[in-house]
Amino acid sequence: MPLDTSTTYPLTKLRLDGRRWNELRLLQAQISTNPASSGSSYLCMGNTAIMCSVHGPAEGKRGDGSAGGAAGSAEAIVEVDVNIAGFAGVDRKRRVGGSDRQSSRIATTLRAAFQSHLHTYLYPHSTISIHVSVLSSDGSLLAAAINACTLALVDAGIPMPGLLCGCTAGMSGSASTPRDPNEDSLDPLLDLSLPEEQELPFLTVGTTTAVPVGEMALDEADAEEEEMKVSMLNMDSKVHCTYIETMLAVGIDGCKQIREVLDGVIKGR
Amino acid sequence: MSARQASSASQTPHLSPAELSYIYTSLSLPNTPIRPDGRSSTQFRPLTAETDILPGTNGSARIGFADGTQAIVGVKAEVEKTVVAADALDLRSISRQAQGESLARESSEEKESGGAGEDGTATGQGSWVQMSIEIPGFRDDDALPVFLAEMMREPLVGSVSGGSGKGEDGEMAGGLKGRLVINRRWHWRLYIDVLLLSQPLSYPLPLLSLTTHLALLSTKLPKLKSQGEEDPFFDDDWAAAEYLYPRTRTTINTPKPPSQNVRPPITLLILSAGENIIFDPSREEIAVADSVLAVSITRDSESDGLKLLSIRTVDPPSRLTQPGVANSDNVAPLGSTGAAEEASLQHPSVGGEEEMAGVWRPRRGGVKRGVIARIVKMVLKKGGVGEEVLEGLEGVEVG
Repeated sequence: MPLDTSTTYPLTKLRLDGRRWNELRLLQAQISTNPASSGSSYLCMGNTAIMCSVHGPAEGKRGDGSAGGAAGSAEAIVEVDVNIAGFAGVDRKRRVGGSDRQSSRIATTLRAAFQSHLHTYLYPHSTISIHVSVLSSDGSLLAAAINACTLALVDAGIPMPGLLCGCTAGMSGSASTPRDPNEDSLDPLLDLSLPEEQELPFLTVGTTTAVPVGEMALDEADAEEEEMKVSMLNMDSKVHCTYIETMLAVGIDGCKQIREVLDGVIKGR
Repeated sequence: MSARQASSASQTPHLSPAELSYIYTSLSLPNTPIRPDGRSSTQFRPLTAETDILPGTNGSARIGFADGTQAIVGVKAEVEKTVVAADALDLRSISRQAQGESLARESSEEKESGGAGEDGTATGQGSWVQMSIEIPGFRDDDALPVFLAEMMREPLVGSVSGGSGKGEDGEMAGGLKGRLVINRRWHWRLYIDVLLLSQPLSYPLPLLSLTTHLALLSTKLPKLKSQGEEDPFFDDDWAAAEYLYPRTRTTINTPKPPSQNVRPPITLLILSAGENIIFDPSREEIAVADSVLAVSITRDSESDGLKLLSIRTVDPPSRLTQPGVANSDNVAPLGSTGAAEEASLQHPSVGGEEEMAGVWRPRRGGVKRGVIARIVKMVLKKGGVGEEVLEGLEGVEVG
């Protein structure tokens, strides 16, 4: 491929789609898109488009059989179902039987993230089921899915301590050797698109704001400076450990920007 | 139980026999059916539609019914090599020449067995259109999605319209299959992916069919630059791409939107209750139907009217409903068990032949010939339901 980030970026300091290292793609979102569900959202980050709908909290499906089902539990069970449409990618993907590896990985990560994030103890013996459809995939799928789910869950009115926002961050090169503090040739990159994801190491980070409690809550001055908490971190590629800190910092900063956008979407209603 | 339900028209809603009987009685009132949602018998539910929503597909559409069920359809096209290559045909003719007349019969049999492929080089194959339906809560090899997909794919590939082959503006020789042929060695393969975004509240067939119709209308294929039997080579300007279903070119100042002679078929869901015919039934109505029919129609390009492509019966869930118990058979009010036994002797079987007013009997299916004839007439006649639906869809701005 004549044009890839690792060759052109050092020369131009511009990425394939013309962004600088710290720029997000255009993020647009809507909530309450589907009146047939408890809560729903549509979110697109660049060319990644996701629809998400939430049903519940409701009584779990009967005849599930499993002993650890929603019926006997003291808190709500979060179920996530991810479906990547056949037309989502550049080439039409053939799937054999049910689901593929990528969608089940995203589903597992989402389930783990939201099971611990939501105030599930308020809804014993019930199920919150989240259905995510990926309409068009162009990188940062997991991050976009987290943001879409957060919006849909807010729309459904399910209590949570703060918005859970996801973002990807990567490095502009393979970053397999220890970092040289004197000569920093590699830049961190924010919000990777699909071609960047395929060639560069990246991680997905999800953060939430800690709700001020006790003395902190009374302190008016500190209310502006909300504290961010990393609640999810996922990385599939290989990178030297000296770069992790940079990537995390950039990713968390991206989450902050995304939070503002999502906040605007929710308050715009 | 779940397997049984999945194969029938939709999951039976939880209605009591008394409610079922009430709905059935009001639907089968002679000539003036009263529907639970107050629609007239030919009225459709209101819907919103948009096309070209996904830039990554060749064509896409979204339709949402007012009750919140939504479907998104994306169409993708790929260039593929036609399997039966020209050299296979050559070999066959060579062998026929070499081995003489005695073996000719055998080779002609062989030719027939491979007939589909051979036709493919000229007219296209139905298998080039693939359809998959994704319904939340169902695996994609469950009976319902597979049956629905086949029910919609069949009229799509089966409809051969505008076969005059004059190459006129807006003509499509050989139907959809013919349109997919690039040349003898190459063809387009069409993937139609249907996503139902919510649990099916009623039998989703009309929703999916209308959405697929719009998506196919907005589907564009890149303009072919190569000629004849060359390897296909396309114009990379998407603005020059041609619609899969060709349109008549109209000048900009004509007030009417560009009309299309050839349009993909649509499938309507129709139920009969007594003598009445009801279009676009809701879930409760399906639960009491005598029979449910899926009727596929398309515009006939030769005449100005409509053409019937197929009629299928759909297994109505009404046969799985619980029967009502007549008051005279009921044990509870009679008090003593002795009286109950006596009563059951007097009225031997609950599933008796005679209909009792207000007591629900599960429908056993079957539809009168006259009713089918009336359905076909209502759909196809000028100004009938089929025309109304197609005109409504033509009102949606495509592309």
